[in-house]
Amino acid sequence: MNNKLTNYLNGVFVPYDGVKSVAELKADLLSDLQERFRELKAEGKDDETAFEMTIDSIGDIEQTIQDVANLSRSLERQVLTNFSASNLPKSDFAGVTAHKGKFEGSALRGSDFAGADLTGSSFKSSDVREANFDGTNLTDCTLSAIDLADASFNKTILVRTEFSKLGLAGAKFIDVKLIDVKLTMIDLRKTVFENCTFNGVDFKYSDLRGLCLDGQTFIGVKFDGAALNKVTFKGATLRNVSFRPAFALTNRNYLALKTISFDGAIMDKLTYAALKGLGVDFDLSKVTVI
Amino acid sequence: MDKKLSSDLLRGHTDTIILKLLMGGDKYGYEIIKLVYEHTLKLYELKEATMYSSLKRLEENDSQITSYWGDETHGGRRKYYHITVSGRKLYKENVQNWEYTKQILDQLIIN
Repeated sequence: MNNKLTNYLNGVFVPYDGVKSVAELKADLLSDLQERFRELKAEGKDDETAFEMTIDSIGDIEQTIQDVANLSRSLERQVLTNFSASNLPKSDFAGVTAHKGKFEGSALRGSDFAGADLTGSSFKSSDVREANFDGTNLTDCTLSAIDLADASFNKTILVRTEFSKLGLAGAKFIDVKLIDVKLTMIDLRKTVFENCTFNGVDFKYSDLRGLCLDGQTFIGVKFDGAALNKVTFKGATLRNVSFRPAFALTNRNYLALKTISFDGAIMDKLTYAALKGLGVDFDLSKVTVI
Repeated sequence: MDKKLSSDLLRGHTDTIILKLLMGGDKYGYEIIKLVYEHTLKLYELKEATMYSSLKRLEENDSQITSYWGDETHGGRRKYYHITVSGRKLYKENVQNWEYTKQILDQLIIN
């Protein structure tokens, strides 16, 4: 029966394995529950009833576990990879694994992150110009208020990565599959995208003016409120792509959208209808609808 | 007329209730629950979760209590909680605040 209590607690605590303060709470609780269970048995309750009553005496433990985890999180976080406020230009991080690493206020210009696994890491207010992210795993990373000018993203793994309010002038994304990535509020006019697939990508409020996105694939992409003057989608594939302007379709927005080139693009009926529905007189004569 | 105990009102004073019990000597978790049960004539049973929320908070924030593992008993090791000087001070403050609140509440809902 003691096993049954232990198993029950293991089940409840499993999301917090490895948090020391929570493990202590579990030990406290187990010893209390065992004593209560023994007392109920001594009163003549059968195993099943005693177990039910014991479990019932716990109450809303999930909230308590969270509270305890939050109390100590600030302490335990310090053992994670933390390169904040470090001066590390041209450093070699190639191939390292640093989950949930922190790079805040760091000088990392020209550093090499090739092939590294930086899942869940955050880059903030740092100088990361000319850095190499070729083949780097940036799943669930957040990058904001940093300078990534001339950085290289060749076959980088970008899943749910969030880029916002940062510099990407001269940065190159080549052969990258961007999945559910956010590229919001960024000046992308001098950024290069070649042979990329954009799946569920959000370009909200970014400036893409004059960008060449020819021959690339866009699925479920949002260009809502983005500046798109003279963007070219020649020979690109677009499925379920949305181009809603920031505000009402003013003359200025109208003219901006009209300059987009879709020559030779392939698009699904949804995207085609959405473009038509904007009321902009696009030249869609050279588009193939599938 | 049936009287009911307001568990919500009691729960808001869990910290003070625990501090009061620890003023009388070090205690382990389940012991605190049993004492609350007895002192309320078996009307109020403090839940483990509610108690440990309080205990861990009091232990962490300003260390109003400390804990240590007791000797091995037949049922395994027990962790005991001990009230510190700062805990005693908090208890006195809470009692004063409660006295004052009680007066105001009486003024609002009885007198």
